[in-house]
Amino acid sequence: MSHFLTLVVNGLSLGCIDALIALGFVIVFKAARVVNFAYGSLLLMGAYVVGRTHESLGFLTAVLLGVTLTAVMAVLIGAVLLRRVRLADPGTLAIVTLGVDIMLATDLTRRIGTDLLTTGDPWGAAVVTIGGIHVPQTRVAASIVAVALVAAFLIVVRFTDWGIALRASAERPTTAALMGIRLSRVSAGAWVLAGALAAIAGLFFTAFPSPGVSGAVGQIALGVAVPAAVLGGLDSTTGALVGGLAVGMTVTLTAGYQDQLAFLGRGFGSVAPYVVMLLVLLVRPAGLFGSKEMTRV
Amino acid sequence: MSRASGIWAHSSSVAAPTVDGPLLRVRELDVSYAGTLQALRRVSLDVPKGAVVAVLGSNGAGKSTLLRAISGTLPFERGRIDHGSIELEGRRLDGQDPAAIVRSGVVHVPEGRQIFEHLTVEENLRAGGLSTSRRSRGSARDRVFDLFPILRERARQRAGLLSGGEQQMLAIGRALMAEPTVLLLDEPSLGLAPRMVERIGEVIAEIHRQGTAVVLVEQNAALALDLADEAYVLEVGRVALHGPAAKLAGTDEVRERYLGGGSPATSERELSGPRRRHVAQAELVVDALSVRFGGVAALSEVSFKVDPGSVHALIGPNGAGKSTCLNVLTGIYRAAAGSARYGDAELTSLRPHRIAGLGISRTFQNLALSPTATVAENMLLGRHRLSRAGFITAGLRTPAARREQADQERRVREVAELLDLVEVLHRPVAALPYGVRKRVELARALCAEPSLLLLDEPVAGMTSDESTRLAAIVSRIQAELGISILLIEHDMTFVMGIADQVTVLDFGRCIAGGSPHQVQRDPEVIRAYLGSPNRGAQP
Repeated sequence: MSHFLTLVVNGLSLGCIDALIALGFVIVFKAARVVNFAYGSLLLMGAYVVGRTHESLGFLTAVLLGVTLTAVMAVLIGAVLLRRVRLADPGTLAIVTLGVDIMLATDLTRRIGTDLLTTGDPWGAAVVTIGGIHVPQTRVAASIVAVALVAAFLIVVRFTDWGIALRASAERPTTAALMGIRLSRVSAGAWVLAGALAAIAGLFFTAFPSPGVSGAVGQIALGVAVPAAVLGGLDSTTGALVGGLAVGMTVTLTAGYQDQLAFLGRGFGSVAPYVVMLLVLLVRPAGLFGSKEMTRV
Repeated sequence: MSRASGIWAHSSSVAAPTVDGPLLRVRELDVSYAGTLQALRRVSLDVPKGAVVAVLGSNGAGKSTLLRAISGTLPFERGRIDHGSIELEGRRLDGQDPAAIVRSGVVHVPEGRQIFEHLTVEENLRAGGLSTSRRSRGSARDRVFDLFPILRERARQRAGLLSGGEQQMLAIGRALMAEPTVLLLDEPSLGLAPRMVERIGEVIAEIHRQGTAVVLVEQNAALALDLADEAYVLEVGRVALHGPAAKLAGTDEVRERYLGGGSPATSERELSGPRRRHVAQAELVVDALSVRFGGVAALSEVSFKVDPGSVHALIGPNGAGKSTCLNVLTGIYRAAAGSARYGDAELTSLRPHRIAGLGISRTFQNLALSPTATVAENMLLGRHRLSRAGFITAGLRTPAARREQADQERRVREVAELLDLVEVLHRPVAALPYGVRKRVELARALCAEPSLLLLDEPVAGMTSDESTRLAAIVSRIQAELGISILLIEHDMTFVMGIADQVTVLDFGRCIAGGSPHQVQRDPEVIRAYLGSPNRGAQP
């Protein structure tokens, strides 16, 4: 039983990180209608900047630098793509982001080389034990940060002008433009947020108990973001949060019970999120919270 | 009324020095979509300060395009201005982005309300005011609430839960939040109940009284001519008529455009006499059919009968329930009450593919063709229900499947000949002009070998030449195939030329029925299309 509880708590804390990852993915889709496959590399970039600079700058400054640089990179990608956003169809844009992803990931992998980069976070490998349940301190920190960031995000979206503009242009871009909302600014804001979220998620994603920053991190993170975002419903921020938690939980539980699940083959944990995603899509084709496509005849 | 004294006048009133002449000036405007379809040709229009200008015309005449051009939203629809200029008090608007145009005081309320359904009423209004300074928003909102008290009551509700009329009020209110000097309204009365249409009319009059100029696009000519000072009638992208609204309302020309005149087609039709070869087929009997959307009655107790082998037209202003009626007959909407029997089958209880299986086939108002496929491929799609070869036999190209394929292609060619489409059979649909695409849509429906053909606005957006040609084609189809045709259409001339029987709907009810000539003279019908004749005084 305590094994199960440990898995649940760890699953939830991993789910918080996954929710951050999915949130950044969904915001860009919502505001700019781009499926951003470069998201994994952005996350890797954030982790890489922190890993490279924390020794000379100190952890907090390194994080700030990582967040800033990644946000700038995200806006650059967004702005380059956005110049064509009205002309190109979503499929083309997604392929462009795939290209950007490959370039960025290749370059970062080259820069990392054979170095073993760690994030240099103050929590290290410490583990908290409450009532017989063991949780790494980094995960506790990740959960707190994730909850705070998500709450801040939801407040911004709910109450600020930018939030109203974001929701309005996500629902009906043409009409939003008719209201004098500048779509390019709204989507630039979304890219900034996505970049910042990617960097922070990257930090926790590569911290203990993960082995550190490696070139593969981007792909792994994308493997989390896509099923989480899709099962939540690609254009719903609530969906991203629920999807992230579901994916974190699925990964942790399948890994924790892998001996019992051995008949499904080794490493089932890495495909389990996709299985969950497919099951959800069978029942709800638009995802849990996604808006349905409708046409009038 | 001067601009500064208007309550709705732009708050930052540092505009250009007073220029005499119109506030908004459109000159020689050409607009095309996707580089091929020309939607406006040399359209010029003036909006004097504080005036209401009505823009009338049938579907596809270019009314919405004109508003999109003014508000800078053509690029969203892959359209662009090829020629001409749009000026607001001497400053060019064309070429600017929509956000900048809103900030200069021109705000567009698009067709179909387009409110943000997931946002609350209050948030919708806030979204409308994002272009103005934070300070002025509170007072702007209070004014909107005074104009539409219901919105104040519903402020915290999600906008998607409002009724159609309330949504229209919200759409107008949201636009007023930007404090426009010129308000562009696209079909504000569309699909609303009579009392709500009246209310919208009062609101437009009130906005006008407060000093805002209004460009009103309407198919409800009665409402538009009642409210407007000036009116323009667009026809296939050109200004066909223009003048003071009161004068236009009284002219025979407008009457003719909306009610159809004694066109040559009509007299020809009368002379032609009995000519049809009856194919064994059933009668369509619609009896007391009602449809409701939420609390709104879209159709109430509509009854009519389509005789075998006849052409029956269902006409009426926008929002009268014509498309709804067709959607019930094809199983897309559910009827709340009443029945629609075709032969022995009760259509209201069947799924769409079963209805197609009965030999009922339809066309769509907004073309539903595959743009990248060729004309022939689109027509083959229509024959789907008649092909027996399955996935495997077709894939293996068995002799039977190949024979069937050859048969299908022969039949497609025959239909193409009937509709003058042979030359374009192997061209992709996207490359064809709109009028030809409408014929392809008809061809696809015919390929299903229907015994009852339903046509949803077959000539909307066609030039008058194309429309005349289509009338001839429809008559030919009916003469050669002997099938029944039920069509809905705005173009009265077209209807009068080819219909045997006409049923007139207005606000979801049958208001008249009979032969084209009886209907044309029916005072109820004239009122529905043009308003009551003893109107005239401007508000």
